[in-house]
Amino acid sequence: MKKIISLALALVMLLGMVGVLASCGDDAIIVHTNAFFAPFEYYDGDVIKGVDVEIMNLVGEKLGKEIKFENVEFSAIIDNVKAGEVCDAGAAGITITDERKEKVDFSIPYYTSVQYVIFKDGTVETKTVDGVDYIVWEALAGKTIGVQTDTTGWIYTDGEINATEDNDYGYAGVLYDTDTELKNFDTAQLAADGIIANNNDVVIIDELPAQYIVSKNSALKCLPLYYSGETDAEDAPVEEQYAICVTKGNTELLDAINAVLTDLMKKDDAGKTEIEKMVMRHMGLGE
Amino acid sequence: MDFITKIIELFSTEKYMSSIWKGLETTLVISVLAALLGLVLGTIVAFVTIANDTKWMKIPKIICKIYITVIRGTPMALQLFIMAYVIFAIRGFPQVITATIAFGINSGAYVAESIRAGILSVDIGQTEAGRALGLPGRITMLRIVIPQAIKNVIPAIGNELIALIKETSIVSMIGMYDLTMAAKIIGSGNNMASYIVPMAVVAMFYLAIVYILTFGIKKIERRLRASDRR
Repeated sequence: MKKIISLALALVMLLGMVGVLASCGDDAIIVHTNAFFAPFEYYDGDVIKGVDVEIMNLVGEKLGKEIKFENVEFSAIIDNVKAGEVCDAGAAGITITDERKEKVDFSIPYYTSVQYVIFKDGTVETKTVDGVDYIVWEALAGKTIGVQTDTTGWIYTDGEINATEDNDYGYAGVLYDTDTELKNFDTAQLAADGIIANNNDVVIIDELPAQYIVSKNSALKCLPLYYSGETDAEDAPVEEQYAICVTKGNTELLDAINAVLTDLMKKDDAGKTEIEKMVMRHMGLGE
Repeated sequence: MDFITKIIELFSTEKYMSSIWKGLETTLVISVLAALLGLVLGTIVAFVTIANDTKWMKIPKIICKIYITVIRGTPMALQLFIMAYVIFAIRGFPQVITATIAFGINSGAYVAESIRAGILSVDIGQTEAGRALGLPGRITMLRIVIPQAIKNVIPAIGNELIALIKETSIVSMIGMYDLTMAAKIIGSGNNMASYIVPMAVVAMFYLAIVYILTFGIKKIERRLRASDRR
């Protein structure tokens, strides 16, 4: 019995020591990301690289602090940043939405993206207006839509499927009551594999990741997703803006991020911003 | 054919292989540490649960029963999630330790039940014989019951270790860079842009680890059965 007690005590003490060691003397800024979102963040071997990493490293230089990136599920980032316990900021091509704004503080937007639909050629009705090919929400009625959990693709699709003017959403969803099914995946890539495996019909994800996936899978195509207007000319893409989020009240970090982003968004002589150049570089397209 | 060329591409790309080696290392580290923790914890819990009912053992027994019920009754993914995002939500806390503790505690509950079953499966006549020969209770347990119990328990423990190794694949859920995460990274948009081939390759690695382990367990079993008259 004595042995058991002493063993248990030793274990508890060991755990305690580890806890103390880990919690003290860590001055680095910890940034949570989901490294499956090239070119904004991706694993190159075992290091996380990407546009967001470059931006945050510049912020670190400005503040004279080390930046540590940690890879977590995308759906966990906002809540982790909100709690502020395990990380200080989230940089993962996060779109500014009102729900997220209630939980965290956002920097100024640094990139405008549109939602894309990935599909097998011929399975979805496309529309061409003035030489621009796109897909409207109505064309997705009755399809099974794959999305990455908690991304804006998920938020929008969920809204279009479940919203009516009488429920909490408060607007009429385009796909309401059309037998359209929403499927959640951990990553957009898994959802795209699902198309090939006939798990789901289409995937809704941001523009650049969609183009990456399609460029390496000859069976798949992608086109921008549009809201249909009164006339064809009024059809509008599903646009959104990326920003970096920090724990509410961390103004020192937020100011530094905003200062860095303002610098990076200045246009050079050719009319290109530093951010756009970073995106090109990380997509392997040169400058 | 496409499948085979893609497998060759994976094995011949240095970047992909370095991902796999790093993932393999994490998987092995978590598996070994968690297995050790699980064995220690499981043994302690097993002996507490089969101990005689004295007033000192009452509370530890209740704790152990609750532990086994809760751990076996809830999904491993949920336990890992709670460990990572509630209990060890400490800045910069090494995730390997979080995962080791989560899997060790989980494994401990199953190991405890295996060991308990092993000890109880030794015929009561063995204990009675030992006691009749004048051996004290503790010595009877240590010299007569436990050696026989170990032999009974080893296949069950082996089973649990195999399950543990494969179950560590869920640590990618909390962002850890294990074999499954390596497959996800190799399969992601900017690399091969398909999960199928990397997942299949990583499955071969899991198979290899488990095969080596089974080989070792079989060897131990055979050694222990050397003196059996069967």
